[in-house]
Amino acid sequence: MEGLSEILIYSSFLLLIIALVLAFFRLAKGPSVHDRIASLDLIASIVMGFILLYSVLIKNALYIDIVLVMSLISFVGTVAISTYLKQKP
Amino acid sequence: MKILSIPYKLLTFLLYYLFKVIQSNIYIAYDILTPKMHTNPGYVWVPIRINSKFGLLFLSNLISMTPGTLSIDYSEKKNALLVHYLYDSKEHIVLTDIERIQNKIIALFK
Amino acid sequence: MNILLVSILLFFGSVFILIASIGLVRFKDLYSRMHATTKATSFGILLLLLGISIYFNSWNVAIKVVLIINLIYFTAPLAAHSIAKSYEDKKDKE
Repeated sequence: MEGLSEILIYSSFLLLIIALVLAFFRLAKGPSVHDRIASLDLIASIVMGFILLYSVLIKNALYIDIVLVMSLISFVGTVAISTYLKQKP
Repeated sequence: MKILSIPYKLLTFLLYYLFKVIQSNIYIAYDILTPKMHTNPGYVWVPIRINSKFGLLFLSNLISMTPGTLSIDYSEKKNALLVHYLYDSKEHIVLTDIERIQNKIIALFK
Repeated sequence: MNILLVSILLFFGSVFILIASIGLVRFKDLYSRMHATTKATSFGILLLLLGISIYFNSWNVAIKVVLIINLIYFTAPLAAHSIAKSYEDKKDKE
């Protein structure tokens, strides 16, 4: 890992941090609850991207299992919250 | 020949799906990154002709992944799918586009 | 050469996730926001996973990558559908 590729990987960390800040902005501001659920879904994806980039940085392939579990849990959480909001009187 | 035709159909369907995914991402990236938004959102009920549950799952998945359309609701009484579109101001463009996708899925499951 | 391809793939994946996030802030109503978060996020994760599987270059990783891509592409439209349906019901009730 040298030169240009290192710069590209560190700048992609920077891009993901900017994305996290923007998603938190929508999470704080969002007019309805459903906007907040959509932004939480996006935040889960951003954290998955962080873990993937980190696994390249420290050269450990074991971190992919975390992404597998996290994609499952994010889907189940989104469906559970929106179903609860639909059933709520 | 009949055994060979199933992987061929599946492969062409997969390539079509990949093409649609890349096209929709280019559209949405162009739309978000340019300062002037050219969106014109609206709803339309699309009648469907697929009668299997599995085909319906594929259809709604593909509609959500094609450029500018998102499937919202399915009504069993009307046998139709509520689609939200982002770009086209004319409804018949969306309808013919979805009709083409339906023909592809019917050909896949035959 | 190989590592350069991997880093370009990782960079573009992050760019697409950033595009989804900008779209979440810029669009005006919920459904348009959901267009951005459904399509661009899953494509960004797809590019990241492709870069990972080229970088580690083993079957063990490639199988998991295919599994995660399938999982994301089947569940992302379903999550968007679920949020949209709940929003629709709430709008009808008021």
